Amino acid sequence: MSNLEVWDGTISQKDFYVAARTLVERWKQVNPSLPQWTWIPSKSTLMGSSCKEEGYLSLENMFHIDRNEECLIVDSFSEREETDDVATLVHSTSNETHIYDFHIVYSFSYKVPVLYFHGYQSDGQPLSMDEIENDLPPSSSKILRESKWTYMTLGEHPYVRRPWYTLHPCATSDWMKLLLGGTSMKDLDISSYLLSWLSVVGQAIGLRIPLELQQRSVKHPSASCFIINN
Amino acid sequence: MAAESPTSERKVVVHLRATGDAPILKQAKFKIAGSDKFLKVIEFLRRQLHRDTLFVYVNSAFSPSPDELVIDLYNNFGFDGKLVVNYACSMAWG
Repeated sequence: MSNLEVWDGTISQKDFYVAARTLVERWKQVNPSLPQWTWIPSKSTLMGSSCKEEGYLSLENMFHIDRNEECLIVDSFSEREETDDVATLVHSTSNETHIYDFHIVYSFSYKVPVLYFHGYQSDGQPLSMDEIENDLPPSSSKILRESKWTYMTLGEHPYVRRPWYTLHPCATSDWMKLLLGGTSMKDLDISSYLLSWLSVVGQAIGLRIPLELQQRSVKHPSASCFIINN
Repeated sequence: MAAESPTSERKVVVHLRATGDAPILKQAKFKIAGSDKFLKVIEFLRRQLHRDTLFVYVNSAFSPSPDELVIDLYNNFGFDGKLVVNYACSMAWG
């Protein structure tokens, strides 16, 4: 591949591994108190041998707490004669805790990362697509409904081998090309691919990505510090 | 009575840059309050271009959340006294 070629927005499986390492390290620096991204190596490759550079990223046990906010609007101008304790006027809020798992998997056919995710109630009951859409902030719902660059669908998770929800990757290389493609091929910093990718995907699924994650100039520890989860 | 923080009163110069086949705005540079959210920039673009689906990003290679404060974006990713915001319209599909 010559340096004059225009980048097409895709990455190799090896690039994905490098980008994954960067995401793990940067997330740990910026969000140390949140659940962490972990690299899950695949147990076997197509050839039957194991390779630590093949696998996927996992972020699990992200809690979404749904407070029924309508119940919090207390009629403070009620004409009751006695002074009621405000607390008794409020209906008990239905604090339903939903738990989400996010996986970032490399797609060999599209040559880009793909997000797989699912949610479940605290008793383990899986969430339906409607329930998940209900959890999304309005801006995310809008993106999923109206944008031309992704939509939510059900797909078989290639490693877990069960249907998980996923954001379709067909336009990913186009918008990644916009985000990272301003430079020539030789200056392309593939290691930050997932940081850029996550800024877009996070908005679609209501996953808050702090601004600090995008600061490229901060030098981070080298690969020797990377710990692979067994 | 605390004095208002100078940072929140500060205006940020935003330069809107069309990419791909997106229409170029006649007025592409403007000032916005640092304390405003990025959502304001997005909404401005939507109104000016009469399009709801835009891909908006900053050249340090990410798409800011609408909740981010413009001043934070400028402090971290601005240069030459301005914040450059890129926008694109069409996205290949399929």
